[in-house]
Amino acid sequence: MSMAEQIITATEEIFSTMIMLEATPGEPGAPPKGPFRNSVTGMVGMAGQVRGLLAIHLTEEAAKSVTGSFLGMDVAEIDDDVRDAIGELANMLAGSIKMMLTDNGKDIKLSIPSAISGAEYTIDNLAEAESTSVPFTLPAGTFTVELQLEHPAG
Amino acid sequence: MSAGADIDYAAAIAQATLDVFEMMIPLELTAEAPLASDAEIRAHVTVMLGLSGDLAGLLTIYCPQAAACAITGGMLGMEVSEIDDDVKDAVGEVANMVAGGLKTALAEAGIGLELAIPSAITGSGYRITAPTGTRKTIVPFRISAGPFWIELKFRRTCC
Repeated sequence: MSMAEQIITATEEIFSTMIMLEATPGEPGAPPKGPFRNSVTGMVGMAGQVRGLLAIHLTEEAAKSVTGSFLGMDVAEIDDDVRDAIGELANMLAGSIKMMLTDNGKDIKLSIPSAISGAEYTIDNLAEAESTSVPFTLPAGTFTVELQLEHPAG
Repeated sequence: MSAGADIDYAAAIAQATLDVFEMMIPLELTAEAPLASDAEIRAHVTVMLGLSGDLAGLLTIYCPQAAACAITGGMLGMEVSEIDDDVKDAVGEVANMVAGGLKTALAEAGIGLELAIPSAITGSGYRITAPTGTRKTIVPFRISAGPFWIELKFRRTCC
């Protein structure tokens, strides 16, 4: 399975079982560098046999919609509930992808997730990792899921 | 008591950072007392590096422009006045090396740590948050150009 297929499989699985929203994938491409405007990003690191990073970048509208559907409540603004939910979403996506990377995810562990939110920010990846990303469309907005993987020597 | 329960994480961060500066950044560095809150932190360049293994964690370096440029200039031996790719790479390298030092220190206490890959966040308006309830240690550092901060957030995953 290619990295783009891994992203699509994991995202469709998590959105259909946990978020209860239909996310339609678009064309895979290079990860967006930003600047991200009025957005929320959830990120989680992977380490062990494979080193990497999973990030999901959502417009504020998409982030509110996903959080509202995930928590079953109305979400009016970007608050700690949204930031926690988007961090947790990154965690679930990375958990699903790591199961596809090695024998049932063995020897890959996740860092804690974090959320970045704000009016304008840029994220630069500082490692020479293999990377790809897939854009998705929701009724309420768009988001992009990005995967970077580095296979350490040996 | 579980392995590592008595580790002074602030002291481990301070020592790892002092070691990195001694090795590759010829600037005088002081570690200050750990902070209880991140209220005073101001950053133009933030580098995050995920940690996993026996801890699920995140090492974050918050640098105002002055400190980021001074660290990069010290490391590369040149004048640096604005935040460019060199600065992001240099602060990323500090994050990698400090995390490497922590990995060695925690291994001695029986805690295994693996490093993910770093990313740099820059911009005019952003905030970074960890899940509610994560344990947090913030150590302020000072060089002549000004302050910067290194934070370790984690939760235990085993033991």
